[in-house]
Amino acid sequence: MARSVFGRSEHTAPVVVLDRDRRLVEAARRDPAQFDALYRKYLPQVYAFALYELANHHAAEDATERTFLRALAALPRFREQARPEDGPEASTFRVWLFRIARNVIANERRTQRRQPAASLDAALGAGLSIADATDVEGSAVLRDEAAIALRAVRALPDDRRRAVLLRFVDEMSTAEIAGVLGKSEGAVRVLIHRALGSVARELGAGRRGGHS
Amino acid sequence: MTVPHVPGADAMAGVDALVTDRYLDALLAAAERGASVAPADANLNRDLREATDVLRHSFVRVHPSFRFEERLAAQLAAQAQDAGDASGGTVIAFRPRAAGSAAPVADPLFAAIRDGTLDPADADAVARAEGVRSLTRPLIVGGALTSAAISLVGVALVAWRASHAESRTAHERRDGVLAATSAGGPA
Repeated sequence: MARSVFGRSEHTAPVVVLDRDRRLVEAARRDPAQFDALYRKYLPQVYAFALYELANHHAAEDATERTFLRALAALPRFREQARPEDGPEASTFRVWLFRIARNVIANERRTQRRQPAASLDAALGAGLSIADATDVEGSAVLRDEAAIALRAVRALPDDRRRAVLLRFVDEMSTAEIAGVLGKSEGAVRVLIHRALGSVARELGAGRRGGHS
Repeated sequence: MTVPHVPGADAMAGVDALVTDRYLDALLAAAERGASVAPADANLNRDLREATDVLRHSFVRVHPSFRFEERLAAQLAAQAQDAGDASGGTVIAFRPRAAGSAAPVADPLFAAIRDGTLDPADADAVARAEGVRSLTRPLIVGGALTSAAISLVGVALVAWRASHAESRTAHERRDGVLAATSAGGPA
């Protein structure tokens, strides 16, 4: 049966909310000052992604700042592109925002590569302090394993590292990560699977080194 | 380690990746519920499961400082005001920094993004824009003069010589004396 698109049936058809941020986005489009709600909602996620990617507090703040300023400037041209299969919790605004963040951070990382010594020092310092914070049980083993795992993640190829961070730090679904990275969901699953394999190998090597 | 290609290996990798993905979904859902025990999945390789558990505990939630949050909120409010007024101004990061940190740099792509000529979510377009920008960066890179800088030095030298007629005259006078001497003229 053909479904009426412009007929009266639209009044009784179930409303499928594709983007959970739709109301906030529409409000911000009407009044840019309302962007503050989206900013407060996603600030910790964008900042965390930037910090784990850049391993430098100031660089993470710069990337976060640039991401949100760009997002607000481009908001009038943002188009919702959610798919029904993404589920009711999918947020295409979040995917769009993280695409902006990924581009900002990628450029920042290129800049960091021109100063390898400083970047490495910053990365190690941030990683160890983060590992310390996870040591909820006061266990040196857990702390060491966390440090090894974070170093292993940092050593991953770009796409694998980003996929892992988006999955673990920002708790994105595979569909959302696919949207951020511009890849298929199958490709994202394989990226994460292989990344976990690399981390597992490093953890295994660390344990063997610890026992010897 | 190089793994030899086995027919069907890609399909198996896809299946393994799917198993890992389902485990991650269950793990994150359990964390959202506040469950303290990670879900068990006998299908998933033990090493991968342990790596997953370690990562879940290693990636702690981080939050920027309150000062940074409010400072950026104020910047966004100013930009929103600017957009509302449609005055066409540009918001430039300007804020006090901690000692030892680099000075803030205004976003060179902001104007193009605001004008709609550059999509900040388009990785290729942004990379191209960054690439173009890098070609027009300062002339001295790593202490070496670029060809553009050398050209500018040449232009500057010509301009300097044109503006120093006395030295040119002296130079020509000396050349004239030397020519006359070699031709057997008066010393």
